Amino acid sequence: MRAAPRAGLARDPLDQMPHALDLANLPDADVVALALEGREAAHRELIRRYERPVFSLVFRMVRDRELAEDLTQDTFIKVLSHLDRYRSEFKFSSWLFKIANNVAIDHLRRRQLDTVSMDGSPHATTPDAVMASAIELSDRSESALEEMEAKELGSAIEQAIARLRPEYRSCILLRHVEGRSYEEIATTLDLPLGTVKTYIHRARHELRRALEHTRE
Amino acid sequence: MNHRHLLPNEIDLLVDGEAGFGVAPLRAHVAECDECRARLDDARIVVDALEALPHFAPDSRLADRVMAQVPVFVPAHVAARDSVTRWLPQSGPARAAAAVIGTSIAGLLTVAMIWLASRGDAAIFATSLFADRVQSLVMGTARDLAFSLLGDSAVAAIQASGMLGVTLLVLGFLGTAVGTILGLRRLATASSRRG
Repeated sequence: MRAAPRAGLARDPLDQMPHALDLANLPDADVVALALEGREAAHRELIRRYERPVFSLVFRMVRDRELAEDLTQDTFIKVLSHLDRYRSEFKFSSWLFKIANNVAIDHLRRRQLDTVSMDGSPHATTPDAVMASAIELSDRSESALEEMEAKELGSAIEQAIARLRPEYRSCILLRHVEGRSYEEIATTLDLPLGTVKTYIHRARHELRRALEHTRE
Repeated sequence: MNHRHLLPNEIDLLVDGEAGFGVAPLRAHVAECDECRARLDDARIVVDALEALPHFAPDSRLADRVMAQVPVFVPAHVAARDSVTRWLPQSGPARAAAAVIGTSIAGLLTVAMIWLASRGDAAIFATSLFADRVQSLVMGTARDLAFSLLGDSAVAAIQASGMLGVTLLVLGFLGTAVGTILGLRRLATASSRRG
């Protein structure tokens, strides 16, 4: 992990750091190595690189801007305070998204803000089990949800994503918004590869159903 | 034409743009089957909409808020390395000159050591002479310093207390020095965090 900074980089003679311009060109592993050496500029570079993807993921998970700001901040504090626990055989971004997702999911569990799938439990294996585990949204939560989404997100696809169960939401956002492979998502979310494929398939199916009315 | 319509996971393979031996027949089927082509188009509409979603920007002060709560420590070995590096010249020619001078000094010292080693008696004489001179210089300076700092009576009291007194004095001095260093380090860390 402690890859030496690339030779030939322009360096600040006072703090022996690559200039900000060069820092932006370094791979994540090198920036992490510099951050572990106590370089604040490297910490800030990691934030700069990932603040938008992490905030977007968390925002779409919790659907509240202020809360998403707080959870994004918590995510970066956790990550940067425990950089020594990062294992370089994984992509830094996968580790970061894993923590961001855990922070968001933990919050949803604590606040019981989970929305539920129209298809019932993702673990259901028979049609009866699917029907039995399907729970409808209450009028109150649906109207509050719609009001919030209309104000903050707006589009039909965003509203449809908001109705997915959180596990589906994480998978589909990592797959199609962040462009992660199925294997990376499985590593990031600590899920078996088959489960990731199932979640993404079901999420697409639900989104397709949810968007049908917009095409009619 | 293959009359079996595509399964949902086969539609997913095509949506994900998978390439492989098994995918070609699926593409061939879609090219001929209106129903499967319509299902694939529906699936692609969703994926295209997802992939067109933008990233949202958080508050511009996020980095400052995060860094205010993240302790940034410079490990001792990095601080030591930086201290050494700071003394090195920045320009290439200056570094080359420093390297030449350093190598010359090291070479001279090595030759001197070899010469001394080959003349054992002379080396022992020179070493003992040098040690005596250094000892008398250090002792004289220390005595003068002690008299000027502490006064005659305090020095007399220390001499009277023997080895125990001197040991306690040295330990007290070391304790004060270490405490001062740690205190300064803590102050420096606190101010760099605030900064």
